[in-house]
Amino acid sequence: MIQDIAMIKSAAQAAHPPSVRLHQVYKAFGGKTVVDDLSIDVAHGEIVALLGRTGAGKSTVLNLVLGTLTPDSGTVRVAGLDPNANFLGLRGKLAVSFQTDRLLPWRTAVENVELGLLILGRSKEEARATALSWLERVKLGDAADKYAHELSGGMRQRVSLARALAVDPEIVLLDESFSQLDHVTSRALRADFHRIAREFSKTCLLVTHRIEDALDMADRVLVLGAPARIQLELTLTDGQRRDEQLRARLHDEIAAALGGEEHPTDPG
Amino acid sequence: MTSTHPSMPRAIAPPRAPMTERRRETIATVVVVTGLVILMEVLSRFVPDYVMPSPGTVLKAAREIFFSDTSHVFITLARLTAAVAASMLLGLMLGLVMGMKPKLRPYLRSLVVIDTGIPALSWMLIAVFWFRDPEVRIFFILCVIIIPFYALNIYDGIRALPKELIDMIESFRPSRWHVMRYLIIPHIVPYVFLTTKSVIGYAIRMVVFAELVASAAGIGSRMNLAQSTFRIDQVFAWTFFLVALNIVLQVAISAIEKVALKWRPEVSVR
Ligand SMILES: Nc1ncnc2c1ncn2[C@@H]1O[C@H](COP(=O)(O)OP(=O)(O)OP(=O)(O)O)[C@@H](O)[C@H]1O
Ligand SMILES: [Mg+2]
Repeated sequence: MIQDIAMIKSAAQAAHPPSVRLHQVYKAFGGKTVVDDLSIDVAHGEIVALLGRTGAGKSTVLNLVLGTLTPDSGTVRVAGLDPNANFLGLRGKLAVSFQTDRLLPWRTAVENVELGLLILGRSKEEARATALSWLERVKLGDAADKYAHELSGGMRQRVSLARALAVDPEIVLLDESFSQLDHVTSRALRADFHRIAREFSKTCLLVTHRIEDALDMADRVLVLGAPARIQLELTLTDGQRRDEQLRARLHDEIAAALGGEEHPTDPG
Repeated sequence: MTSTHPSMPRAIAPPRAPMTERRRETIATVVVVTGLVILMEVLSRFVPDYVMPSPGTVLKAAREIFFSDTSHVFITLARLTAAVAASMLLGLMLGLVMGMKPKLRPYLRSLVVIDTGIPALSWMLIAVFWFRDPEVRIFFILCVIIIPFYALNIYDGIRALPKELIDMIESFRPSRWHVMRYLIIPHIVPYVFLTTKSVIGYAIRMVVFAELVASAAGIGSRMNLAQSTFRIDQVFAWTFFLVALNIVLQVAISAIEKVALKWRPEVSVR
């Protein structure tokens, strides 16, 4: 079975160059190494989870991919482009849902979701219709006209997710997008997200500290130590992720690599 | 079996609304104004009329002025509006440039800071030398005085822009215009209102002062006339109108602000 995946993977990689490529990336803040010689290739349509404890440098990796940070050494390529030097070249190709919701307080939920669409030059009507359909998808259809401060933390996070997905990006970056939600909502949304990502073969880089999230969605799980450097790498098919026994084993394996058991009550 | 009785009175009466902050302020204002009127009345009995006129005399003068000098009030208001609007625009541009062009920032900042240090009186005298037209003089005086308030507050506003929001909008790869339109302008609006509210009282005093020095029309010039004809009742009446004008403008600006900033949560600090 593992060989099957490998074959599918290499076929996919032949057709498309890697969507996201980090090559020997090194980043330090004020003398403190945060990302250490990190190399990651994310193939087109692949869902990769970055797992790591708090402070491991996960968000930093995301910011490097986004181009808001530049590596001290090494290269970052997104859809073949340097995300910092070729900032505008990636318009519409990349979207992020940040760890904090970052909603614009003067815009309602639906107006926040419209933001990326308006930047892409869509008409007001089209942006509104698309934004509303995405709010429906994240179960917030009746909160469309509420301002950010009128929404709960979980609702805001879902608006943020809708805002990222609404622009129909080729590459999606998610930073702890499901961590703040209760288990039922989180699971439903993860399943929904996974379906959408597969249906539109989106390339996804998910950052999370919850093993559960990674096992539910990722084709490949990268466990990072601190500073960010790959400790463990494992692949997973959609069939395998439904196998409870295998999941339990992988869970333990990842937990061990993270250095200790996962804190189930971690608020995220 | 179980049925609801919508017509039945509710068992628990809704709690009585507590006295709002606004109501308390209104009451306090009425008390203070009444106190001042009584004080005037009492004082006017003991001193000559040209020192302290009675409220009755002032009221009569006010009525007289209200009908005969309405045009002067409008002239002053027009000057005030034009100068505040122009200062807002120029100050906004200066503040934006200071916030977004780090290379120009120190130069503009020191220019603005020097400006704030120049006394209004100096500007008034300089304006008389520089400009012949009284309208230009008044406009110039008000602008040089008000612009720094807008420029510095807008600059502060831009500095207070959360980095997180900048990164968020940049993730969509916006043009400069998008960032302006969707992030910076909406973020700055509250600062514009704040500045306008805090500057309007000062601007009213300054426009009247400038009119007194530089013009033959407007409230300031009429007050000058009242003084030279020994009509202290009219001086008081004008003063009363100026205070009222300030209150009316403050209320009007607050009302507009409430509509424009309806997205802001109501905060109360205990
Ligand atoms: N802009 C910055 N300046 C200085 N230090 C930073 C900066 N950003 C991150 N760091 C440091 O880098 C380290 C990694 O931070 P990062 O936010 O990437 O962690 P993380 O893995 O996302 O953690 P969490 O799970 O808590 O979100 C931390 O020690 C943090 O203090
Ligand atoms: Mg993080």
